[in-house]
Parts: sequence; structure tokens; C-alpha cells
Amino acid sequence: MKDLDPVTLATPFFILAIVLEIILARLGRAKASYEPKDTLVSLAMGLGSTVAGLATAGVVFATSLWVYQHRLFDIPMSAAWAWFAVFLLEDLTYYWFHRLAHERRFWWASHVNHHTSQHYNLSTALRQTWTGGAAGTWLLWLPLAFIGFPPAMVAIQKGISLVYQFWIHTEAIGRMPRWFEAVFNTPSHHRVHHARNPRYLDRNYAGILIVWDRLFGTFQPELDEEPCRYGVVKNLATFNLLRVAFHEWAAIGHDLVRQPRHALGWLFGPPGWSPDGSRETSDQIRARWAAGRAADAAIPAPAAAKGPTPDVRSESPA
Amino acid sequence: MGAVAALVGLAAWARHGRPAPGFDEARARMLLAEEFPGARIDRLWIARDGKGALARSGAKALVLMQLGDGYAARSTCWAQVSAAMFRNGRLRIELGEVAAPRAELAFDQWPPADLAA
Repeated sequence: MKDLDPVTLATPFFILAIVLEIILARLGRAKASYEPKDTLVSLAMGLGSTVAGLATAGVVFATSLWVYQHRLFDIPMSAAWAWFAVFLLEDLTYYWFHRLAHERRFWWASHVNHHTSQHYNLSTALRQTWTGGAAGTWLLWLPLAFIGFPPAMVAIQKGISLVYQFWIHTEAIGRMPRWFEAVFNTPSHHRVHHARNPRYLDRNYAGILIVWDRLFGTFQPELDEEPCRYGVVKNLATFNLLRVAFHEWAAIGHDLVRQPRHALGWLFGPPGWSPDGSRETSDQIRARWAAGRAADAAIPAPAAAKGPTPDVRSESPA
Repeated sequence: MGAVAALVGLAAWARHGRPAPGFDEARARMLLAEEFPGARIDRLWIARDGKGALARSGAKALVLMQLGDGYAARSTCWAQVSAAMFRNGRLRIELGEVAAPRAELAFDQWPPADLAA
């Protein structure tokens, strides 16, 4: 099983690709910026994530096997249609996991560290969670085992998705051909996802297929007139690894101790929710931004407050 | 671990971060407008070393802190600044967040003459 783990197999490629990106940037041949401390945090988070993953791997695997023993169908790993089906269903699951991880604070607490870099380069891809297993997001993949996909098949597909998502963490690639941008998640789409501009917040949750965002109304194209500013709404003021890994959990704990009667809201409300409205959620930030923009232009702001901005930029091949 | 050290070393060697010009008044005002839209800036002080800025906006203090080649911004109540410790040319403002525990800004003196006046 270890031999078939796409992430393990791809690790040397990850390292080489980062080396290449740094060197090409240094030579002025590619757009990329690296800051040593930021890079160190990203890579250390990646290492820590691997260790943390081992801690919960047994529980995840045992639970998946148990669910699989109660499966509805027998799906063969040798059938091409089964791989196509697991590709689609795993990617759909990833979309909803990712959306949940952004829109509910409990899961945001485990995912936020992936977004804390103010840089967007290949090392950012490795800035992964230490607490995802403990947060239980892996439960979302259990229905695939219940349907009848062998747990090994699901694990391999999850690995393929993770490997795919590595290369899209770069500014070195502008835009892919139009047909590719229409179907697949790309560096351009994912730059939007990592941006903290109000217009770009909580958009483009896709893993491999961007079609899910188009389908569920969370798609936002990258606009030439609005360059991405990376990071989180309130950027971290520290490179301390433990603070990066656990800051949102600590903030939740602080809020729970201060106002236990609002525990449900603090835990499962959207990030930025507060009982007295003194903080702002992504939707509220976007609404304020849209209202300000509409006032500036002296035109009404209809759906801009909630929905994605229409694609006003024509996508062109790289 | 070796690969991590090598990559960080390579990133340091390449020195290919973004230009981080430090804060001057124009940049601080631009970033404050971006971070705190609509906030009125009553007074603005730029840290001596250009690594931070502090603004008063009514009863609030708006803080900009350089972090590597990026920055972080926070808002706190002005009382927090009034209570802040000033020692060895550094104003230490406790922000009380795990993600941003404190801001340290280098000033020649604090409170500055224009604030006392």
C-alpha cells in the first residue's frame, strides 16, 4: 500500500519542483517569491502534517474498513469505470470537505494554516494541517467505502488529488489553455482561492475539477485588474510554528471560555462570526466591499454582495 | 529534515523575496485604508526603523507590523496603547492574540510630543 501512495511517490518531484521554481525565479525566468522564514514554516508544517497523519492513520483505516464491510455494492478495483467513478466522487467529496473547512470555524481551525503564508509558491502547497485528522474531516470520505469503493482505492485517489494540487500553488504559470481552465483547477483559479481580497474570499474550493465551483456557485475567475493579495483576512504577525499550527484552536478556546453560552456559534458558525456582530465573516466583508464599490461607482450593487463576480476577463492561453 | 534545510538554504541564497520597502507615511496610509476601510486616521506615527506604524482612529489604535517581506495589521483599543510599555526606544503593545501576541514599534520617544499636545 505504501508503494502505491501517490504522495510518497511524488515527494522527490515536490522537492525538485521547488528547487526549480526558486532557481528560475532567481534567474528571472519565472514569477515567484520566496522568503526563507516563510519557506521554513511551510516545509515544517508539511513534515509535521505527515507525522500527525500517522497518529490518526490507524483509526481512519480501521473505520474505513469497518464501513466497507457493510458496503452496498462490490466495486472492483480492476475496472476502469470504477476508477472514473471514484475520481468524480472523491473530487466531489473534496469540494464539500474544502467548503466546510472554510465556512465552519471548527474545521477552519484545522485548515487555516494552509492559508497563512503571504506568499504563493510551491512550498505553500506543503503547508498542511496538523489537526485535520483530529478534526475528523476524514469522516466525509466514509460514504465512498459504504457505497463499495475499496478503502485502498479511495486512499489512492485522495493521494492523486493531493499530488495534482501541488503544481497549482504557483505564480510561475499564468493561465492554462481556455478549455483546461474551464474544466480543471489551475494555478489561476487556486491563486484566487488563496487571496484575501474581499472579492476573492471563500471562492474556488475545487480539488481537481473546477466544474464543482461553477456548479455550486462558488467560482470566481482571477481578474487582471485585481492582483491577488495572499494570506488570511487577519494575517499572522509571527513565524512561530506552534502559533501557526494552533492559533485558531486557541482563539476558539478563548472565545468558549469567555462566552460558553455561545459555544455552538463559536464552534460551528462561519469564521468571523460573533454573537454581538463585532467581527466580520467573509460574506460580510464581501458585502461591505461590494457596497463601497457600488457607492464609488454610483450604481446599485445587486447580487454582488453575495454571489461570485461575473467573469469580465476573457481567459486566454498561457 | 535534510531536504527542508537544503530548500530553506536555497531560498535564503536566492534572496528572491518581494521588495519590502518598510513603512513610510504614504505606504502606511495606503495599507491602513486597505486593511481598515473607512477608518479615519487622526494621527499616524511611523516607527524609526520603518518596520511598523501606529495610527489613532478615534478610540481605536491601528497597528501595522512588518513580518518578513509581508506585514500584519491589527486594531486594538487606544487604551491598550496608553497602557503599553515603552523601554529602550521600543513601544510594546500587547495585542492578546495567539496569532499576533504583541507589536513592538521603535520610536525615539513615547508618548510623542504631538500626542501630548
